[in-house]
Amino acid sequence: MTDSPLVWVLLAPLLGAVVSLFGKLLAPLRRPLSFLGAATLAVPAAALALLLEPVLSGESVRYALGGWPEPYGIGLVLDGLSWISCALTTVIAAAVALFSLGRRRYGAGYFFFLLMMVTGMYGVALTGDLFTMFVSFEIVAVSAYVLIAWEGTATGLAASYKYLVLSTTGILFFLFGVFLVYRDLGVLSISHISQALATSGGVLNTRAMHLALASLCVGIGVRTAFIPFHTWLPEAHAYAPHPVSAVLSGAMIKVSLFAMIRIILQFGGEYLLELLMWIGAVTALAAVISALSQSDVKRLLAYHSISQLGYMLAVFGAGSALALTASFSHALNHALFKSLLFLTVGAAVSLTGQRNLYRIPPLGRRLPAFSAAFFAGALSISGIPPFNGFASKGLITAGMKGSPAYPLLWVTSFLTIASFIKLGRIFLPGEEPKGLLRGGDRPGALQTAVVVALAVLCLCTGVFGRPVAGGLYRILHGTAPESIPRVFSGGRLLGVLPAAVLGAAAYMAVSTDLGKSLSGRVRELAPELRTVLLFFFVGLLAFAAVAY
Amino acid sequence: MIWALICLIFLVGLWGVTRKANMVKKVMGLSIANSGIILLFVHYGSLSGATAPIEGSGRPMVDPLPQALMLTAIVVGVCVMALALVLVYRLYLRFGTLDMHRVELGAWKLHD
Repeated sequence: MTDSPLVWVLLAPLLGAVVSLFGKLLAPLRRPLSFLGAATLAVPAAALALLLEPVLSGESVRYALGGWPEPYGIGLVLDGLSWISCALTTVIAAAVALFSLGRRRYGAGYFFFLLMMVTGMYGVALTGDLFTMFVSFEIVAVSAYVLIAWEGTATGLAASYKYLVLSTTGILFFLFGVFLVYRDLGVLSISHISQALATSGGVLNTRAMHLALASLCVGIGVRTAFIPFHTWLPEAHAYAPHPVSAVLSGAMIKVSLFAMIRIILQFGGEYLLELLMWIGAVTALAAVISALSQSDVKRLLAYHSISQLGYMLAVFGAGSALALTASFSHALNHALFKSLLFLTVGAAVSLTGQRNLYRIPPLGRRLPAFSAAFFAGALSISGIPPFNGFASKGLITAGMKGSPAYPLLWVTSFLTIASFIKLGRIFLPGEEPKGLLRGGDRPGALQTAVVVALAVLCLCTGVFGRPVAGGLYRILHGTAPESIPRVFSGGRLLGVLPAAVLGAAAYMAVSTDLGKSLSGRVRELAPELRTVLLFFFVGLLAFAAVAY
Repeated sequence: MIWALICLIFLVGLWGVTRKANMVKKVMGLSIANSGIILLFVHYGSLSGATAPIEGSGRPMVDPLPQALMLTAIVVGVCVMALALVLVYRLYLRFGTLDMHRVELGAWKLHD
């Protein structure tokens, strides 16, 4: 049972969850036990480092849980794709767990659910069969519902309920896909499905398999939150406790995106790529327009998560080996800077008790370290050199060269800059009104250390963008890349200027009266639940219909 | 015939989720739709044999895998429904209504 390091990736956070739950029983030991629980995340980190070598040489590490071989038992599979997924989860979960440790209101139960969610995410990444993937998705989701409602605020409860209704409906589509696969192929293990499809002539020539793939994509798509399945995300990510928003945006949606990429690649669903590219580009643009019109700081960030996810999906849809690397590279960078942004902006919200960005006073003098870290994150997401967003957006440009969807992404990039000019005012140094901040919740030393560490990581993965991308390419494809485009070439550096100018212009346009009234209109656009369910069916039909 | 009934159950569940304003009825809808999917698996599994999958009964057994899978799915479903009902209860205490639309309107107005 314990002979492979692979199984410890899954077991350690599970044990950690149990350990931290004992804090409920032994109240004086609550903090050390929570710390011990969070420290178990070091075990997956060590195990992943041990397993890097076989993954780099392009083979996948397999482990049969309980000694039952794969068609019958539950197999764990670690290949390059799931290695990156696990590594990303580990980094974000560790940062968020450390950030939450200093807070009294995050007690034993909170750490239990946080670590259960991490276990579920490892499960989604490592599982070798579709049904275990369903169970892992539900472990992640149930923990997420509890964590979103953790503070018991009215908005948190409502957001959690909305998320629950939509994602449970979505997962029923996933189960339907699992049923079709089992009925027609008789196996559920992903590698066996891949073989069965290869012998019967691919997805398109096997009965009902394109419908199965479409259902699986819709089911995971609801968790991944691209348009048209995104409607739960703004509320769920905005009204969750701040560290939970960081882990939801930073890790959870990526883990489901990677699961979808794995399924599409293993099923041989290349015919879906063009559709996904267009969905991604439209998602990026539409979500950034919504983000620009928000005045609630965390809603603004939540819409940006959807928008950046659109980038990853669009470049995955471009289909080349370099494009896949670009997609993963952007996912990794987005995980770093978006969790950083949620943690810093969350600190501003808890300090001032305000969520409207026009009512938060400038906090640059009050929270200097947080401001510096926030600007590192904001520059990263806007794609300004030398931060990591610049590096991965360069890869995306190279990966989508000549694609008709690229102009949409280009427009998105300067609207992103505009919305971060809008958001940046809350961390500018300036005079703050006296007496407003007396009762606020000041971040401690541990919190400051975490955000500074994340900011440094954002800078490092930007400066060393090319080696990082080369490493990701090797992990994904098992071979060294032929060529990775240079990150800091003169032309690309110059290309930032027009985007920055257009971004500033777009910000000016939004701050006029007309822009404000238009923003209000866009904010009102929230589809009703029945429309959303119609979207599910439309999405299912679209995914199935591209087969013809 | 049975397939059509199962499909109908699933659609009735989805109809409940979308068209009913009452949050408890939405949870019922989810539960019904979930049962539809479970019936789909179990019915398909039952076509493959004649008797319960116990070794040594002599008659052709049904495929045990769909039943095992659905046992897990039922457990997961129970967890989700229990949590959903807790959330509905807490929301009712806050807003004094079970109407999803009014709860949402009230909740998103609290901030901003």
